[in-house]
Amino acid sequence: MSEFLVFFLHGLAYAGLLFLVSAGLTLVFGMMNVLNFAHAAMYMLGAYFSYTLMLHTQGQLWLSIIVCPIALFIIGALIERFLLRRVHAYGHVSELLLTFGLAYIITELVKWYWGNYPLALNIGGFLGETIQFLGLSYPVYRIFVFACGALVAIILAVILQKTRLGIIIRAAVNDNEMVDALGVNVPLVFMGVFAFGAALSGFAGVIAGPLLSTYPGMANDILVDAFVVIVVGGFGSLAGAVIASLIIGELQSFGALLFPKLSIALVYLLMVVVLILKPSGLFGEEQ
Amino acid sequence: MKRRKKGWLFLLCSFLMVLWPVLAMGADTIKLGVTEPLSGTFKDIGERYLDGVKYAVETINAGGGLLGKKIEIIPIDSELKPDVASRKAQNLILKEGVKFFCGGTGSSVGAAMSQLANRENVIFYTYGMEAASLTGDKCNKNFFRATSNTDTRSYALAVLMAQKGYKSIAIVAQDYSFGKEAVAAFKKKMAELSPQTKIVAELYHPAGTKDFAPYVSQIVAAKPDAIFTPNWGNDLTLLLKQGRPMGMKQKIFSYYINDEVVIGSLGDDSLVIGDMGVEIYTLSAPTKKNKEFVAKFYKDRGYYPVMRGKGYVATMFWAEAVKKAGSFDVNAIIKAWEGLSYDGPAGVWTMRAADHQTQLPFWVVEIVKNNPYYKHAFEKHAGVINAKDVEVPVDQTGCKMSN
Repeated sequence: MSEFLVFFLHGLAYAGLLFLVSAGLTLVFGMMNVLNFAHAAMYMLGAYFSYTLMLHTQGQLWLSIIVCPIALFIIGALIERFLLRRVHAYGHVSELLLTFGLAYIITELVKWYWGNYPLALNIGGFLGETIQFLGLSYPVYRIFVFACGALVAIILAVILQKTRLGIIIRAAVNDNEMVDALGVNVPLVFMGVFAFGAALSGFAGVIAGPLLSTYPGMANDILVDAFVVIVVGGFGSLAGAVIASLIIGELQSFGALLFPKLSIALVYLLMVVVLILKPSGLFGEEQ
Repeated sequence: MKRRKKGWLFLLCSFLMVLWPVLAMGADTIKLGVTEPLSGTFKDIGERYLDGVKYAVETINAGGGLLGKKIEIIPIDSELKPDVASRKAQNLILKEGVKFFCGGTGSSVGAAMSQLANRENVIFYTYGMEAASLTGDKCNKNFFRATSNTDTRSYALAVLMAQKGYKSIAIVAQDYSFGKEAVAAFKKKMAELSPQTKIVAELYHPAGTKDFAPYVSQIVAAKPDAIFTPNWGNDLTLLLKQGRPMGMKQKIFSYYINDEVVIGSLGDDSLVIGDMGVEIYTLSAPTKKNKEFVAKFYKDRGYYPVMRGKGYVATMFWAEAVKKAGSFDVNAIIKAWEGLSYDGPAGVWTMRAADHQTQLPFWVVEIVKNNPYYKHAFEKHAGVINAKDVEVPVDQTGCKMSN
């Protein structure tokens, strides 16, 4: 029984991380219909900013959690205002190519500035400790990662469902001309959504850095996972991202225990099964 | 006006592109093509290896060159793709008559380069590609391995762990051919040397795993005396980083533990102190030639030749074969290299004629806090394992070399 609980916890922690990484991606896609390939590169920027900040503040993760998302918010806003908006009229392929190119540029800039090798980043204080329960030692940080994921999910749900801002955002998605006519500044809303997506990816980077280590290949490594989450959950669906993260997290954890021979393919098998049964993903809207 | 300027620039560039090989061919040098990933994720590994080969070439050139000729290095970005590496090398063979190639990263690149070398009758030697099959069923007369392979390295670690008398061992490895071959060889030698030792866990995870917790829990539950892993790079970093806080306290015996990049990126020496490994070239190998080499390298470059030493020693070994042949004729060099012994910084290396696998000693290292090289933890010399203790008999390699 305690073994089951431990593997369940492992799955939860990883699910929290998966959700953090994919939330911004699915949000931007759902609201703006832009598949942001640069999302993982922004996540990487978040992790590297956090590294530099923590280097100069003796490992104050709290400061990174506040500063890095703000920095990424500004970068995201600038990208939307000066790049994405200009190619918007030319359709999805141009937007895709633009974010694709941005991903390369950001990744290379990171390598150029921080160097092409992994960086040491360790968490001090309470978050870096391990707690004992059920006769096992469990790192506090893993619990913290899950808590962050859960918190972000709740905040997003409240904003979108319960606030005036959420109503405007959802309305702008459905019929942006109508919302425009009602006096809402739609381009500003879209800029805000994209910037918020970037801030979320930066936050994910801050949280992931100490757990997955901060290294030049981290963007590419996480991008596939994030895409799997939003394909399984349904493009643009936040609830789908939550459920898909949980399923994939638990699947990887228990897969390693129960079907070790399959663990390399398990997640992709899930994706295939979901796509066969429901091509739009678990919570995706039928076209 | 602007358009015209662009036109001129374009013309100039095309001229340079056409003329470059011709201009470069002018000097009378011997060219050595070095295939390494010089872009992408594994760039740092490729650059370190290339640096070692470069240092060997600089040393040879400073001493008057090879048979009176200067050596010129041509870096080839393999992008870690077999087809890219062999296409670029093929071009160099056809256009510039390059006869010598080497490389250290990616056994799949090695297999393609080995085939190409055999077809075009040039020489390819490796200082880092370790898939046993390269000198096994894929062997040919144009391919030389001036390094260890998964069989011998696993054997060396088995010898070391058998000496320590562990009763139970857990194994964790990447789920692809390299990890599986390394584990198979390790288990074979361990069963031979210490039949009473139990393998209490044998886990394979996808290469590039991000969450090691599910694997660490299984290792901890198996309660082994020690852990064996052929993991490298981030898969080693994360195993240590995520595993240690979860109660995985055992000594780890790893293929590549004395990697200053891995240890540096841990940022916490306590995660790695006490772990052990074997390597064909180490900074701490106590030979007189190595002490001189390390001191001179540090004086010239300002850093230590970790990993780079492998490219250096292998290239010096190749140069010995050329000297013995007395010419740059490929067939003569192949003949000269077979059976040749070279007493260098890493001890005595002998190129076995039957499969072109160098027989060499392994240097044992233990990771300690205080070391003369880095501020963070690094290696201490902890013994040597002789070449004959890890020898794989030729009839077990699967190599049938045709002339």
